[in-house]
Order: sequence, then C-alpha cells, then structure tokens
Amino acid sequence: MNTLKGKIASIKTNQSLSLVTIQIEELFFNTIVIETPDTATYLKIGEPITILFKETEVIIGKGSEHHISIQNKVMGTIIKIEKGELLCKLIINTKIGKIIAILTLDASNHLQLEVNEKIIVMIKTTEIMLSQ
Amino acid sequence: MIQIALQKKLSAATGEMLLDINMQIEQGKLVTLYGSSGAGKTSILRMIAGLLQADTGTITVHQKTWLNTSTGICLKPQQRKIGFVFQDYALFPNMTVKENLLFALEKNQDKQIVKELIEIIELEDLQNRKPNNLSGGQKQRVALARALVRKPEILMLDEPLSALDKKMRIKLQDYILKVHKKFNITTLLISHDISEVIKMSDTVFMIENGKIIQQGNPIEVFTTKKVSGKFQFTGEVIDIKKEDVIYIVTVLIGTNFVKIIAEENEIQTITIGDPVLVASKAFNPLLQKIN
Repeated sequence: MNTLKGKIASIKTNQSLSLVTIQIEELFFNTIVIETPDTATYLKIGEPITILFKETEVIIGKGSEHHISIQNKVMGTIIKIEKGELLCKLIINTKIGKIIAILTLDASNHLQLEVNEKIIVMIKTTEIMLSQ
Repeated sequence: MIQIALQKKLSAATGEMLLDINMQIEQGKLVTLYGSSGAGKTSILRMIAGLLQADTGTITVHQKTWLNTSTGICLKPQQRKIGFVFQDYALFPNMTVKENLLFALEKNQDKQIVKELIEIIELEDLQNRKPNNLSGGQKQRVALARALVRKPEILMLDEPLSALDKKMRIKLQDYILKVHKKFNITTLLISHDISEVIKMSDTVFMIENGKIIQQGNPIEVFTTKKVSGKFQFTGEVIDIKKEDVIYIVTVLIGTNFVKIIAEENEIQTITIGDPVLVASKAFNPLLQKIN
C-alpha cells in the first residue's frame, strides 16, 4: 500500500459523495469518497490526512504529454526494478516520497523501463482512500 | 437501560488491584468485555450476577435496583434475572439434554419455553442424549439453551467459545446472535478474540487493570486509523504466500475465504492468525444479481 501524507485543500460535496483535493507538498491529488463533512469528522479543510492506494493501481507513463482522464500525476525516477515471472515491481522516487508500482512484466518490457529513467506516476481518483 | 457502577479491591497476580468501573448498557444490546486475563472481566460479571460482593457500588436494571451498597440493597443471585454460560458446560451428566433444560425451569413455569429453545437452538436430534455423548459445541449449545430457560434479563457469557475450534465457534456465535435477537435480551460477553468481538457486539468495553480504558463501536476501538474505504471487513489471516514480486494473503472473513494481493511493506507486521482489516473503495466491486 502506498502511503502519502498531506492536508485537505478543498472539498466539493454533492449528496453523499465528496470530491476531496489533498495538497502534498506543492502537488494536488483528488479522490472521491462516499463521505461528507457531516459523516466524517476528518473532512475539514486544512486537516492533515493520509492518502492510500494499492501498488497494483499505479499507472506508469513515459514522455510528458498524456491526453488521458487521470488527473493525479507526479514525476518520478525509477530507483529499482524487481522482475518476477509475470509481474514487475518498480520503486519510484518522487518529490512527495517513494511510490511503489506493480505492473505486468510485459507492460514494463513494452515501455522499456530502466533504472534512473524519468517517468510519470498516475493514479485514478476512484482508487485513492483517505485515512487519518 | 442498565447502569452499573462497581468498586472492589481484588488481589491479582501482580498485587492488589482496585476494580473501578462505570458502565451504561442499553437494553437489548450485545456488549463485550475485552481485555487480558486478570484485568477483572470475570469479576465484573460475577458481581453483576451477585456471586461476588462489590465493596461499593450500584446496579440498576430497568429502573430496578439490584445492588446499592449505600442503602444496603443487595438482591440474591436467584432474585437477579440472569443466565450464565461458562467455558465449561456444567451440565448434569445423569440427565438427558431435555431433562437438563426442564430442570432449569422455575416452579410453575410454563414448559413451552423448553420446546421453543430446543427448536431455536436446533437440539431436536440431541434432546434425548446425555451430555457425555455430545461434542463440545453441542454441549455448549445445551448450556446456552439452559441459560435462557428462565427468560433472563441479562445473558452473561464468560468466554463460552474459547474451548471450541474455529468452525464450531462461528456456528455457536450465530446461535448466540440468533437468541440474542429473538429474545431481545441484553447480552454481556467476555471474549479475547477481536474478530469475534467485531462480529458479535454493538459496544465493546476494553478493560485493563480493573478500569475501562476504551469503549465504543468495536471497529472504531480496534482500528487505530479510520480508512475511508466503504468496502470493509475484518477477518483472520490464514495464509501468506510469496509469489512473483507480490504476496497472496488468504483471509477468513466470517466463513468465506478471500484472497488479497499485498506488497512487502503491507505484510511486514502481519503473521498468520492475525486479525486484519480488509478495505477497498466502494468504486471497485462488481455487483451481479444472482438468479
């Protein structure tokens, strides 16, 4: 599980859903949760919060232009690649901390990922959990 | 509402201990006392039952005073409407299951309750057997039925399931929940098993050195961090297998096995047998109607 610490920058609520923006250093991450400031005490602007997401949900991109629907992005450098038979684990250094990604070995080979390479780490809004 | 305030000096293994607790329990709730041995849990149940004298304190059950040391009121155990199940079954060996239940009836009490309990706790096939011919789980079912014969206001269960294997424990937990709901009875359970506490109870009181150190909804009490994921369960780790660059963790949730892909940093502090929280976002699971 990837864990990053930040603070809540904004909350947009509609009925029982909230779109929460979390500031981590100078970056902003969005997540959507079935909670509102009425149901969860931690949904307060300025509140310190931890974001959690699975390694298997991390998307890796090469190059700079990605016209895709993912808003949560951070640049990083691959510092370690651990190859299995089917899967592959990347440890990535970013300015907001270490992030681990697990992807198929095929995908990693296809992108020709290498240690020290600069890549973009992406994570879908619906895959980020919040924790106090 | 049941109000309990009790103080008593107890001699524990570590020396003298002052038990001092104050609990409010809503009628019809299932409440667990959780804590290490020697924390005072059994003493609390025994004082509520009237089997152990409190130094000072009050017990009020639905506005009726069972104990008030300052006015000298102290009902005898048989005047308190209580059903008790212990870890050992304490059944009469020379009586059949049904006779054991009939023997527990009060004078002039309608025998219908025995028939009803045999049905609810599914003892039909066992009712003419003697305790020696029953398994541990079956004996505990009989003990549970017997504790309910007098229609108690409080059912007290002192680690009733700790001698049973996991499968039997889950079955007994379901019987306890069934009678708890059916008779709308206030139930006090002592348990060491976190997954049992979470499954069974509305409220948990965490007891340490004779004091309540935490109380509330069990998931909130046991999980230090609240996670926003709405797809949340608690279970027990059955197996951890390293495969490829990941780990496959098998978790028993209720009677279902689930498998979870984990990364090294997640399993570092987890070993087989540990209770765990399994959480995912509500956005991930598929939902399909079963025909």
